[in-house]
Amino acid sequence: MIPEAIEPRRALIGEYVLGLLEEPEASEVRELIAQDRDAARMALEWEQHLLELADELPPQTPSLVLWERVQQSLGWTPASQATAADAFAGWWNNLGLWRLTSGALALLVLLSWLPGVMRDAPSSASFTAVLQVPGESAKPGWVVTVDGDGTLNLQSLVADQIPANQSVQFWTLIDPKDGPRSLGLIEPGKGTTLSAEQIGAVQAGQLFELTLEPEGGSPLNRPTGPVLYIGRAVLIASN
Amino acid sequence: MADSEFDYEGTLEACARGDKGAFQRLYQREAGQMLGLAITLLGRRDQAEDCLHDALVKVWHNADRFDRSLGQGRAWIYSILRYRALNQLRSRGRLVDTDDGFIEQMADDSAQAEDIASDQSEGRELRRCLRQLERPRRHPILLAFYRGLTHEQIASRLTTPLGTIKGRIRAGLRALQECLQA
Repeated sequence: MIPEAIEPRRALIGEYVLGLLEEPEASEVRELIAQDRDAARMALEWEQHLLELADELPPQTPSLVLWERVQQSLGWTPASQATAADAFAGWWNNLGLWRLTSGALALLVLLSWLPGVMRDAPSSASFTAVLQVPGESAKPGWVVTVDGDGTLNLQSLVADQIPANQSVQFWTLIDPKDGPRSLGLIEPGKGTTLSAEQIGAVQAGQLFELTLEPEGGSPLNRPTGPVLYIGRAVLIASN
Repeated sequence: MADSEFDYEGTLEACARGDKGAFQRLYQREAGQMLGLAITLLGRRDQAEDCLHDALVKVWHNADRFDRSLGQGRAWIYSILRYRALNQLRSRGRLVDTDDGFIEQMADDSAQAEDIASDQSEGRELRRCLRQLERPRRHPILLAFYRGLTHEQIASRLTTPLGTIKGRIRAGLRALQECLQA
């Protein structure tokens, strides 16, 4: 029974907006809101007040594929593209990652003079990628180097704190058609070395990124969490 | 955070006319805050992103049903998000282990004269009114909002009889609306 008097009615609608009512009462109130403009106004008033509580929470950056997913669901991208790989390709093409960036290149040049970052006399092509906070060219966090043998070395320039129940996962993307490939979990602040067999042939422009994932890594074969650092391989030497 | 410069109502009306650019601006403006709430409610980022995805698709499809004479655009958007999140929670049927520290903190946050003054000057009416409730009435309302708990779940979380919880929430909401209308 929905009360006729305004104040009890407003309180009941508040309970509904909070999600506290059960059936059949919830359906009654839902119907009332759909039919009665005053009830709809009361519901939105509660929602408006409750926004203050929502705004107490820190915003969270959605993963980059979310916008692509939404567009696909709305039919804004051709159906043939409706795969995770292409979602990944979307931001590969859109995000202006090629702007990565004068800062990164300057750092690259600098790093190339540091001992240990570049191997001596590479037998074939070697590459470097500076991984940066997305959209913040002045915040390099990690450096990927691939020496002439094809061994990949990931070195940390930062000591990030990661929540205890989350993991950092390392990914690469060569061809957007194939989608991203996991290169395993990374200990924050610590590097890793991967053999040529593990990493495969590296190409100029190949994308590397670190994402924040649930503990133990992404449950899917693609990143699900926010991108922490991202960058592209640049050819630094070839014989 | 709400941006007083951003025209949510006009943006929703543009979405209703099929303006994709308006929808993208809305996404850029609001998706982060929406995701923050969805993660708090659902406890898992992957499910929260699914929820946000579904809510956004619904916002676009239903934008023509938004009516600015009934209320504010941002409230309308969050009503869709919270409805989706609550459905997801109910259909999952089990609770995630969550750290309710910040809810405890807010529940403990009783009215101090200087807080009331600053809430008032910053237009935080609900915070001001919540602070004036006694803790046993405030706490269940916060658990309902941030965790989407049902009466039963709140009763068991607070080890309080179900009838008592229902009564406190009702009394709390009535006191809130009195304070908010004042």
